[in-house]
Parts: sequence; structure tokens; C-alpha cells
Amino acid sequence: MITISGLGKSVGSTPLLSNVSLELPSGKILGIIGPSGNGKTTLLLCLSGLLSFDSGRITVGNTSITAEESAQRSEKLWQFRRQSGIVFQHLHLFPHLTVLQNITEAPVHVNGTPKAMAEKQARQLLEKLGIDQHRNKYPEELSGGEQQRVAILRAIAMNPDVLLLDEPTSALDPVRSGDVRTLLQDYAAAGHTVVIVSHSVRFLKGFADFLAFMGKSELIEINETQTLLENPADERTMEFLRYSEMQ
Amino acid sequence: MHSLAAYGSPVLRWGADPSGGAPYVYADPANPQRYTGFDYDFAEALARQMGMAEEFVPTDWESIVASLNRKEFDVIINGFEPTEDRAREVLFSKPYYLFRLQLTVRNDNTLITSLEDCKTHSKSVGTLVNCAASRLLEKGGYRIKGYQDPVGAYQDLELGRVDAVLMDVAAEMFYARHNPKLKPAGEPFHTGAYVVGLRKGDTLLVSRVNAAIDSLANNGTTERIFRKWQLWNDEQLKLRTGGKKVYEVTSSEFNWSEGLVKLLKAAAVTVLLAFGAMIIAVILGIPLALGQSKGGRLARILCTVYIEFFRGTPVLVQLLFLYFGLPVVGITLPGWLTAIAGLGLNYAAYESQVYRTAFQAVPERQWQVAYSLGMRPGHAFRRIIFPQAFRIALPPMTNDFVALFKDTSTAFAIAVWELATAYRELANATQSYLGIGLIVCLYYLAMSLPLAHYAHRLERKLQRKSTGILSSGTEQ
Repeated sequence: MITISGLGKSVGSTPLLSNVSLELPSGKILGIIGPSGNGKTTLLLCLSGLLSFDSGRITVGNTSITAEESAQRSEKLWQFRRQSGIVFQHLHLFPHLTVLQNITEAPVHVNGTPKAMAEKQARQLLEKLGIDQHRNKYPEELSGGEQQRVAILRAIAMNPDVLLLDEPTSALDPVRSGDVRTLLQDYAAAGHTVVIVSHSVRFLKGFADFLAFMGKSELIEINETQTLLENPADERTMEFLRYSEMQ
Repeated sequence: MHSLAAYGSPVLRWGADPSGGAPYVYADPANPQRYTGFDYDFAEALARQMGMAEEFVPTDWESIVASLNRKEFDVIINGFEPTEDRAREVLFSKPYYLFRLQLTVRNDNTLITSLEDCKTHSKSVGTLVNCAASRLLEKGGYRIKGYQDPVGAYQDLELGRVDAVLMDVAAEMFYARHNPKLKPAGEPFHTGAYVVGLRKGDTLLVSRVNAAIDSLANNGTTERIFRKWQLWNDEQLKLRTGGKKVYEVTSSEFNWSEGLVKLLKAAAVTVLLAFGAMIIAVILGIPLALGQSKGGRLARILCTVYIEFFRGTPVLVQLLFLYFGLPVVGITLPGWLTAIAGLGLNYAAYESQVYRTAFQAVPERQWQVAYSLGMRPGHAFRRIIFPQAFRIALPPMTNDFVALFKDTSTAFAIAVWELATAYRELANATQSYLGIGLIVCLYYLAMSLPLAHYAHRLERKLQRKSTGILSSGTEQ
């Protein structure tokens, strides 16, 4: 579950996010679309607790932080960061750890899960995606698509309330395959929330439950996917959809 | 040919070491542009007696014989004692002064009253390298610490880095007699002689010098000079009779197997210095790098000042500063520890820069991923960031270690018996700069090559695992 109210963030005099508010229940997938440079990734970073903001309040799962708290290294901020897991555009797997170690590092050393159990759970996930045979390889030995699966599993292994993905379609071998979609849908269905930032409307269609359109630093509109695509309320949304259809 | 050249030369070029050279030859404290000292006066008188002009050539005491034979000057006048081993390299004139040796200890020392006591109680004795006293001690099997000048020796005695100092009375009078913290142990002993040293083959010059020495002794010039320096005693009158040998000659036999063992010991010390210093550098570099890149304003400034200070001043000066400067504020470390600390502090500055570059090369996103997985900064640093940075830092660190290995040679300046010191002293004893030099180089190589080899293997092993910054890139 996510609640954002009056979120604002700027660098110098340039606003990155202005008065963004939205609410998303558990079990749903939200797609955030919009031209690049409009604050989509900034929003994701604020949601993950990795970037401080200037005004407003964000609630993720059962933890809520204010703008002030987002800038202080406190127990609360650590708690808040644990509520979400993030998969970056360029994945950033830990290059010195094997696939299995990438996934089990946090469960074992942060949560204190026994190593054997963490590995068993990781291998179940790897098997589900058909890449268990790569478990002892290092990230650089994997294809782009395989790396992306590992990055998603690394985040999921901590069982965060919210899973955040930044531009998953820009990986070398992007998530088109059904197994990753199924994985994300299953994760949402299990009572979590998934937020995907993407410039690809086609990818989100029939996959995301809701779509949000980001104009310049503003959340222009948010609606059920089908409604937003077929009947956008704002001129700017319409223009973006027309433009992305031509692509 | 040489002898004729020297004979015909109207200038008597004489060599001596003026650093810490009082009262022999030293820079006049009242007028540092000029030199003074009894040997200075004597050389002037000698040249005048020979009808020549004199020219003083400042040189280094330890290698004074080699410099003479390289023709940097024609005679040695520097409290130079005839020894059996030197007799193979140079000619000696008649003696112009008879000296005795004096043992000095700290004021509170009641244990040592003679040189024998040093042996019985296994106490270390400091002296000048390459002199009669050092030969006497070597032959007697004492625990010797060799110094380049008397100042360092007596200072170390004061600081307790050495238990006693044996020196010619002339030097002892000037540097130790008036120091309230020191006292003479027993009476002066062993009569030795100062002579003029000349190149082999300069036989004509020797006879002219001898004639002049006799004249100076007989016409009272020598007495006047040594009275001026308060070094005159009636024993010197024995020299006027001439002919009879009235002094003892020290000698040293170079024992090759013993020499190699000494070199091995020096190599062990070199290894100790290098590893000790590297451990300090590697550990201390971490807080320096963190302070400089992540610390607050004050930490940043302090770390930067530290780094620029140690990188911007010579390591040799830093060692001298630590060795002679720290005791002023009450911190007295033995030489080997000073060398480890000094080199460690110095290289920590370099390692911090290696780390800083390495950490900057690890993408910021790696920290963010770690944080989003719930890792605390310490955990993220230890398990995620550090291993990646280490891979990047390893090659430059290896280079630094090999460089540090060679820089341990600067410890010779503070009388640590490591390979470079051993080279100087043994090569001087044998006059075999080439042979001992090759052996010393082989020792260095035997240590640095395996090091480079293992570092290279470790690098390759880590590289096979993973290259580090693979999936970095710009993100919006």
C-alpha cells in the first residue's frame, strides 16, 4: 500500500516533483508513464527512501515519513527503506558476488535468516525463472535478461511491501517474457504493491492495473489502465499517448 | 704520474667531513660560511709549511677513502687513523696527534664503568662507523650501533636508544663532556694516532708531508694548534722523537661468511620495516580516505592537510624529524620503530588516495541498492563496497608496496641496520662496492620479485571472478 500526499522536491530553483499525491492499494500494479526527464525516477527514489524530499509525506506499507524525516539518518528512515525493494534501470548487481550470494546476502546478513534456508528459498525462485543452473556464476557471465531476473529476485528475497522497477524494458534483453510478468503479477497478488516506471505504454498495457501520467514534475492524472488509455482526461496525456503510439 | 701531478700542484686539496665534525672540521657557528676546527688549522699550517695553497673539499666520512681514490682530493686530514685494512687502500703519513678513546654513559648509569662491562651485561655501544673505535668494538664482538656523526650517537645515548658511546677524546670533549645528562665511564684508554691519508703511489707527496709534519712538531706549531683547542697533553711530545712507534693500530678482517649473515639480518630488518609500514599504511589510509571524502568540514581539512604534508615533503626528512624531533616532546622511539612509523605514516597518505579513487569508481547506486535491501552503512561498506573497491585498488597498492620496499633504505639515515646501511658499511669495510652492491641488489630482487608475482596472481584470480564495474552507466 502506498499513500503520497503533497510530495515536493526541487534542486535549486528547478522543481523535480511538485505537489504529487496518489494512493495505491495492496495487490495492485501501477505503471508510471511520461516523457523522460519528468521526475519518474525521482518519484521512485523518494518512494524507496533513498532520496530526501522537501515537502509532503509518504506512507509505504506500515511506515510513514515526512519530508524532514526523509533527510535524517534515523531508525525510522531505515525502517522506511525496508518497506520497498528497488530494481534500477542498470540493475547494479553486486559484481563480486555470485547469483546466489546476490540474492541471499540481505536475507542472511540483515534479517538473520539461516543461510541454508535463504539459499533454499532463493533456489526455488531461481528455478521458477529457469535460471537455477546459473546460481554459482558471477553477474557478468549472464545475459542482460538473466541479470534482470536476478536483480528482481534480489529485491523480492527481502519480501518488501512495495516493489519498485525503473525502466525494466531498457535492459538488454527486456522483460517481455511471460515468466517475469507472471512473477510480478504473483507478487502483487500476494498482497504487495508493484510500481513500474516505463516509457513503454505497450509494455504496461494489460499488465498494470493503474496508470499514472507524469508531466513536467507533476502527476497529471492517474486512473485504471484501460480508462486512462482509452479516455485520457488531460490534453497532455492524450498528446503523449498519441506520440508513443507512433513509436 | 699521479704523484707528479700532486707534487707539482701548487694547491693541497684536502678532504674531511664537516657534518658533526667538531672539533676536527666543522662550520664555524659564529660564521657558518667558514669552516674551523683543529684539523682545519692543521691543514692550513701543513700547506703553508709545504709552500702550497690549501683547498678544503667537504666529503662524507664513511666513504672518505673511496673519495680519496676517486681523486676528489689529494689527502685526508680528518682525525684519520691508520688501520691494517686501510693500509691496503691508502698510504699513511707520520702521526701528527696521539688520541685516546673515552667511553661515555648516561649520568644515572651505575652498571657500566668500563668497556668490558658492556660485554658482560650485553649492552649496546654506539660509535662512528669506519673508525678506530668501531674496529676495536667489532674485533671485540660488542653489540655495536654505527653512527654517521657524534651528534646522533650522543643524542641517542641521552635518549636511551644506545647504552654507551665510545669515541675519540677530542669528539667526546666537544660533544659529551659538558652534557649534564652524560658522564665518562672509566679513564681514557687505547692510544691511537691521527695521520694524513694519501693515495697509494703518491710516495713523493708522502715524504713532503712527513717532512712538514716533523717541522710543525719541532717548531711548536702543532702544540700551538692543539693547545688552542685544549687538546694538548704531554704524551704528544713522544711524536717529536720520531721513528719509534708509540701508538696502537686497530684492524678489521673482513669475514665473508659473517658478512653474508650480517646482510641476511639486514634483509630481515628490511622485510620487517616494509611489512610493518605497509600494515600501518593500509589501515590508516582507510580513515584518511573516509575523512577526506565523507567526513565533516573539520575532518576533511585535517585529512587533506595530513595527506598533502606527507606527500609534499621527502620521506627522509620525515624520518629525521620523527627520530630527532619527537624526543623533544618526550616521545622516544627506537630507530626501527621510527622507520616503521614514519614510512607507515607517509605511505598512508598515498594509500588514502588509492582508496579514494577506488571508492569513487564504485557506482553510488551500489550503496543505494544495499540501503534499499536494509543494509546499514557499515554493513554495506564491509560486504558490498569494500570488496569492489579492493579489486580496483589492488594494482596501485602493489606498486606502492614495492616502492615502499625500496624506500626502507631511507632508514639508514637514522642508523637502522637495514640493507642499504649494511651495504654502505660492508662495502666500506671491504672496499668492494661492486661485489657487495650486486649481492644487495640480489637480496632486494629476491624479495620484491616474488611480491610482485603473488600480487599479480591475486589480481588475476580476482579478475577471473569479476571485473568490478560492469553494469554501471548513467541513469536519469
